[in-house]
Amino acid sequence: MDLDKDNANPTIINPSDLPCRRRECSVKKREDGSTGLFDNLTPTYNYLSDPFDGPDSSGDSDDDSVEDIDEQEIYDLISSISDPEHPLSLGSLAVVNLPDIHIIPPTSPHSSISTVVVEITPTITHCSLATVIGLGVRVRLEQALPPRFRVDVRVKKGTHSTDTAVNKQLGDKERVAAALENGTLMGVIRKMLATCE
Amino acid sequence: MTSPLEAPSYTIQPLATLSPPSSSRTWQSAPHPSLPLVATACSDRNVRVYSLTSFTLVHTVTGGHKRSVRTVSWKPGVKGQSVLATGSFDASAGIWRRDERGLEDDFTAQKQRGDDDEEEDDDYQFSCILDGHDSEIKSLSWSPSGQYLATCSRDKSVWIWEELEDDNFETVAVLQEHDQDVKCVAWHPEEDILASASYDETVRLYKEDADDWVQIAQLNGHDETVWWVEFEGSGMSTKDFRAQRENLSQERAQHLELLERSGPRLATCSDDRTIRIWRRKPKENRQYASQNTGIPSIIRSFNIDEDWFQEAILPQRHDRVIYSISWSRKTGLIVSAGSDGKIILYKERWESQVPNGVKADGDANAPEDAEESQRTPLTEWIVVAELFSAHGVFEVNHVCWAKRNDKGRRHEDEEIIVSTGDDGEVKVWTLDELKT
Repeated sequence: MDLDKDNANPTIINPSDLPCRRRECSVKKREDGSTGLFDNLTPTYNYLSDPFDGPDSSGDSDDDSVEDIDEQEIYDLISSISDPEHPLSLGSLAVVNLPDIHIIPPTSPHSSISTVVVEITPTITHCSLATVIGLGVRVRLEQALPPRFRVDVRVKKGTHSTDTAVNKQLGDKERVAAALENGTLMGVIRKMLATCE
Repeated sequence: MTSPLEAPSYTIQPLATLSPPSSSRTWQSAPHPSLPLVATACSDRNVRVYSLTSFTLVHTVTGGHKRSVRTVSWKPGVKGQSVLATGSFDASAGIWRRDERGLEDDFTAQKQRGDDDEEEDDDYQFSCILDGHDSEIKSLSWSPSGQYLATCSRDKSVWIWEELEDDNFETVAVLQEHDQDVKCVAWHPEEDILASASYDETVRLYKEDADDWVQIAQLNGHDETVWWVEFEGSGMSTKDFRAQRENLSQERAQHLELLERSGPRLATCSDDRTIRIWRRKPKENRQYASQNTGIPSIIRSFNIDEDWFQEAILPQRHDRVIYSISWSRKTGLIVSAGSDGKIILYKERWESQVPNGVKADGDANAPEDAEESQRTPLTEWIVVAELFSAHGVFEVNHVCWAKRNDKGRRHEDEEIIVSTGDDGEVKVWTLDELKT
């Protein structure tokens, strides 16, 4: 119903190369080690295991390529996520929008931690799936971005009846970590992210 | 001598990274009450036990949990064996034991010599499982006497377990005061008082009253999830800056007396990026109430409520959520860490000379609590050390103090800071005092 035709076209075609490579890696791992229920969930921590490929060198060598990450690139990473209800992407549904993505640089010269803030716009104000969509966006970015990015996903103010509660959940690392160990929920998330390749 | 406010007076120096690290997130570490060991709760469902002498892995506690181990706690006061409680996202808590007889003396020598991990006797033995919570256990903690174990969960409840005998644990209380996830539980060092911190932004205190555990106080003040709660050590006024009693003004001497009547204080940290100190308002008739056993139980129940007020907010140095704080039992220093990767060190001191009304803390107290004791904060907290990127770009989930036990120890009471991060690493830090 909210179909924004202007946004429908450019989104899916433009995923940047780097995040896609990472994503393929994680899919492979998942297929290799799929014995038990929880093995399926280990890709959750892919963003953690990446730096161990080269613990010390990753900092410097990554930095050059990482500087390039801008709002458009973040948009490309998440706009192709499928809506859990509709066979459409979050970009085409205007759930994620480029102007609602902000990258905040490190607050101190001693720190290299940047913050990505994504405000999502649920299609309807009482959409019960807002949390799941937000979780999908957070998982996608945490998997695709280097660990120096903190990912803050929020529901855009005034677009959802319980936006404060949803935001609090999405911001709670412990709840997110536990959710990612929940097989059913991860199944939904995986399906949403399957279109991101 | 009066250094400018918040001038750093320590540096936090890296001493070691415990090896090998976990390949995924580590949540929390607990130093052993008597041995030079630290147990680390890992998201790979294991607990790693490292030596604080050699900084290497000595045991891996595996096979007990189906999901992340979120929290670990050593039972205090056990002779001849180590007892470890583990709490997991799988909603269960595990009790593990290891015979330590004869190992205390040459423990580290043995460990350094070889990997005897295959010997069954040498491992931590799974002893029993505590089932009851409906969802993820977030924190657990033994009471100082070892009599009680408290657990808390996303199911909004706090459980108190008592070990009757031989791994027979009885649930002595299920406390359901919180409206949301309970993030952390901690025990008072002197009295059987339990504190819990929650996603509902409050802290609650509980105590046993005529066989029933009841809430005795609710602490409001934080604007976001309260992630950690910890009591001050016992008798700190003889160890920290308060130990120097000569030439104190009457005002300060009076303040010390009030503080001592309050007993150990409470520290909390939150997603609102603040660390707050709470203090019990001394009861005028405290001694009467507890000594006179002839008072009917109804009246005692009425008296059991305690009045805790916010005494101070520490200087705000964190940019993001603060996950953990720890209050040194030796020096009274507070250390904090969180999502921004920083480790910050705070020290309390007498407020510098003229109380010129600059302190913001005074206003933060609720008006109805405004009495002489909290109206005039005679002490202040300053930042004495700040470390960036303690775990590189990763979040620091936990920080705590431990006794230093490696060869480089500079004095008997020297402490180290142990930090636990999203990078799977547990790091050990020393404090160097800056000479000016």
